Amino acid sequence: MNLWLGLLIGLKEIWAHKFRSFLTMLGVILGVASLLAMFSLTAGMARGMREYMQQIGGIEFVSVIKQDVPPEQEFFYEISPGRTIDDALAIQNTSGLVSYVSPVVDIGANVVAGAETFKGEVKGSWPDYIPINKHVVEIGRGLSWLDVERAQHVAVVGRSVVDKLWPERPDYNATGETILINQRPFQIVGIFEFYERTEDKRRRDLGLKPAMGAGGGGGRKPPTRGAGMNRSSPFGRKNSQILIPISTAFYEFRSANMVGKEDAGPNYKLDGLVFQVADTTRFPETLNQVSNILRTTHRGVEDFGFDTREEWFDRIEENVRNVRTSGGLIAGISLLVGGIGITNIMLASITERIREIGVRRAVGAKGRDIFVQIVVEAAVIGFIGGLLGLVASLGVMRILVAISPAENAPVLEAQNVIISFAFAVVIGVFSGLYPAFKASRIEPIEALRYG
Amino acid sequence: MALIELRDVTKRYRVGEQEIVALDGIELEIAQGEFAAIIGPSGSGKSTLMHLLGCLDTPTTGTMHIDGIDVSRASSNRLAEMRNQKIGFVFQAFNLLPKFNVLGNVELPMIYSGVTARERRERALYAIERVGLTNRVHNTPLQLSGGQMQRVAIARALVNDPKIVFADEPTGNLDSITGATILALFRELSEQGRTIVLVTHDNEIAAQAARKIEIRDGKIVGAGGAKVGSPALV
Repeated sequence: MNLWLGLLIGLKEIWAHKFRSFLTMLGVILGVASLLAMFSLTAGMARGMREYMQQIGGIEFVSVIKQDVPPEQEFFYEISPGRTIDDALAIQNTSGLVSYVSPVVDIGANVVAGAETFKGEVKGSWPDYIPINKHVVEIGRGLSWLDVERAQHVAVVGRSVVDKLWPERPDYNATGETILINQRPFQIVGIFEFYERTEDKRRRDLGLKPAMGAGGGGGRKPPTRGAGMNRSSPFGRKNSQILIPISTAFYEFRSANMVGKEDAGPNYKLDGLVFQVADTTRFPETLNQVSNILRTTHRGVEDFGFDTREEWFDRIEENVRNVRTSGGLIAGISLLVGGIGITNIMLASITERIREIGVRRAVGAKGRDIFVQIVVEAAVIGFIGGLLGLVASLGVMRILVAISPAENAPVLEAQNVIISFAFAVVIGVFSGLYPAFKASRIEPIEALRYG
Repeated sequence: MALIELRDVTKRYRVGEQEIVALDGIELEIAQGEFAAIIGPSGSGKSTLMHLLGCLDTPTTGTMHIDGIDVSRASSNRLAEMRNQKIGFVFQAFNLLPKFNVLGNVELPMIYSGVTARERRERALYAIERVGLTNRVHNTPLQLSGGQMQRVAIARALVNDPKIVFADEPTGNLDSITGATILALFRELSEQGRTIVLVTHDNEIAAQAARKIEIRDGKIVGAGGAKVGSPALV
């Protein structure tokens, strides 16, 4: 007996008992639906986390931080100049494993344009700061080396800054406008694109409300820019950034350093030093190399350390994996219960059909023909149940999202669809094995005598 | 060698503590082309003998050859092949599959012998024609009369062109007129040269066969002469 025929018989059998077959399938349907919904929710979660990580510079982002010197260096730590422009220059000139490096100074500032004021953080940096932080200039230009060399009074600003300073003018092209940063005039030469989660962008494009509490300005203009306005999120922080050349920042804001009533002279210490690793597979070598360079510029004093996202990334990936595994396990158990349901019904069905089995055996069916027939029937139930489950998962996801509006919308991934469906078919086949084995062992005479 | 040869065949069942001897030292030969009737009262072991002959069961001791093949020690798969290829079986209760139509029921044995769908259909239609049911091909068994159902069963038994057709009380569930037409059909098949063995408890039916094999308490008490040729006319 070939498989095709078995398939036809299986379908016929299912069709003959539509309601019973549906009840049998229900376990598989719900199992597959919850499995796929589970996978999609975690996939959405993972995507949200990865987007977040990408927004804060990705795994290749490294920040050089101040650190307490080791005890044996405590008595001469003062010979180190700390983090200075020299560090950045040395890394730029000598490290082949670093793709971008930028020094950073932070200036808390009042930014004024016309009647509007914006309290924000102004960062003095090199042009490389833009690629390191994965900034994208939407209008105008970014910083240039010429700006740094000549200490130009230019600024590249985030979209939220423009929105705040020109609230009446949505999507205003503010390049060419002059803003006052702590009373010094700067000309806007570039505006970054508006950073937001893919999910928020999708919703905004559809004219829906953002998924999570919209930060300010709700209803000011449709479509509303949502979470990207919130300054505590990495998106909000990036949208509120103002970049100026580091030379201008030193020249305008750091040339005097009042300690008490005395001017201690210019302060060339950096507030930050960030770089991007060229090849993440050579992360340890890169850190080692930069560490050696900095030890030279810091005269041997190890008053610096590295803040990397590597561990953070690993932890996030691990979390996603854990959630997926435990969720998948629970959904898998429900699918297994569905499988047990199939086994149960098949066992009942072979008792009911024992005479049919006897007739088939009497006209020449071998034990294995009966075996194949029952397994194929169970597999068909798993197959159809799996297909219906995939459809049902869309509904389950809607319900889950409606009950607890997650920050990240579920993402349907092809591989998860395939895994869930394949699992249903496998469960179908496995749950058919025992009834099929039992059916194949029935002696033809006994079967014919029955009923 | 005869087509069917039983040597010292016994069949014993265990029912709880008790052992029942259903067949006791059966010696039997049936030649190619014979039309034989196995007759005996109920409980005589004739059904057990029929099941052995039909390869639905195996003897406890003794040997049994069908068409030169020793089936007394054959595997379950081998027996299935015998039932499929060499033997056609007609039951008292017809044993048709109610979910299949006439064509599907007659095609059933060929499903297990790897015949292509097209040939299956052709051969099934030919067999149905032989039993005179061409106009009921697409009916299900429940839409047929008893006699028609038995004709379907006979078509199914013939469709793989077996050497022997066994019929276990083929007229037991039919009224006497319908029974007579079924018997006539068997006689016709016999005249065409097919070996036919039927089991009955009815002397009148047995009389229509060329040879009467009487069985009582698991033993053959009268085997008749092995006659080949036209059956006796009543």
